[in-house]
Amino acid sequence: MSHSDTIPLHPSSQSDIDEIENLINASVQSGPATVLPARPPSPPRASIPISSSPFIASNLPPPTYQKPPTAPGPTTPAVIPVSDSRPSPPDPLDSVWDTVKRDLSRIVSNLKLVVFPNPNREDPGKALRDWDLWGPFFFIIFLGLTLSWSASVKKSEVFAVAFAVLAAGAIILTLNVLLLGGHIIFFQSLSLLGYCLFPLDVGPLSLIVVTITLVWSSWAAYPFMSAAVGPRRKALALYPVFLMYVSVGFLIIAI
Amino acid sequence: MDRLQAPEENYANPKTCFFHVLFKAAALAFYILSALFVDNFVIIFVLTVFLAALDFWVVKNVSGRILVGLRWWNEINDQGESIWKFECLDQESLSRMNKKDSWLFWWTLYLTAAAWILLAIFSLIRFQADYLLVVGVCLTLSIANIIGFTKCRKDAKKQIQQFAQQTIASRVSSTIQSAFSVV
Repeated sequence: MSHSDTIPLHPSSQSDIDEIENLINASVQSGPATVLPARPPSPPRASIPISSSPFIASNLPPPTYQKPPTAPGPTTPAVIPVSDSRPSPPDPLDSVWDTVKRDLSRIVSNLKLVVFPNPNREDPGKALRDWDLWGPFFFIIFLGLTLSWSASVKKSEVFAVAFAVLAAGAIILTLNVLLLGGHIIFFQSLSLLGYCLFPLDVGPLSLIVVTITLVWSSWAAYPFMSAAVGPRRKALALYPVFLMYVSVGFLIIAI
Repeated sequence: MDRLQAPEENYANPKTCFFHVLFKAAALAFYILSALFVDNFVIIFVLTVFLAALDFWVVKNVSGRILVGLRWWNEINDQGESIWKFECLDQESLSRMNKKDSWLFWWTLYLTAAAWILLAIFSLIRFQADYLLVVGVCLTLSIANIIGFTKCRKDAKKQIQQFAQQTIASRVSSTIQSAFSVV
């Protein structure tokens, strides 16, 4: 990454990075305050200048970053965070928990953006800005488990087929959009199609409910997909999506 | 090797190293042992993939930062373009990273990927498509981390070069300026 890269960051990405920054600060700055035989005493740096990225310099909201840079010099006990009283190496568990919370909240917010009606649907590109694949991962596994559990025969095959169909289906649908000349980002689309699986996950397994939920899934995916391709090719892009959800619906009903 | 000459240099982050190795080993061990003892493919699949996903998360978010000072992620900017970011700590902090930590980090990454490739070959030979699926998912996760962190490292090396060039350039220019000011 070049030093001239000054693309302003999306606000939620910034807060993620703030958090990561604080965690790195915590793990490095607690060095001198604790007795670590292994590590040579590191002068507590005022900040971790992560040199390739511009965000240290300009893009982050000042309040978050006043804390480290205002620390004057080598000995800055005022800035050293929580772990200064502990004799043991800095416990990463706190920061791990923070990261877990951040990821979980991202899953929830992505879900809300994609599946539920909200004003952001007119601007689909913005909605899944913070794509992640954890949500889709859990939904696919859950759907596979449900199918497999309710299947009377060939449970393992059902699960494997469901997983493979959904995963391969998402990839192929994304490629379809890209090949139609659409502008969509690969992982964003995978993430989207995975999140749209959510209604099918939670609907109980009867014909009517499954029909409703698959229509809901398709409706959820519609604005994102249609925004990605030109008007003449919308149907070409959307039809396979609908087909995939219909086939998943059939899987649910039939097995 | 380092072990012989630096007795005082132990693992600087033993807990992180432990977790770094734990989930990888657990996923591999569970997969191998369960193929012998457990009959239920679904459980094998779900647990193995879950452990592999946990390992991916731990390596990317925790041990990458703490053991080798690298991180990578993806962002989508306002224009809707996808940007991959690869970053490292500055040179001083990087050189202070514990050698054992980083040795462990990289070697376990490579070994795990190699192990999954081996298991993939086994399941190919036995024509077990469903087990191949499991191994495929785990391998994808391992390789994703390897690629991400290797790019971070390359970026780090590029920065060393840039930094060196800049330092030389600024030194040269300041020397010339001071030479001119004297004259």
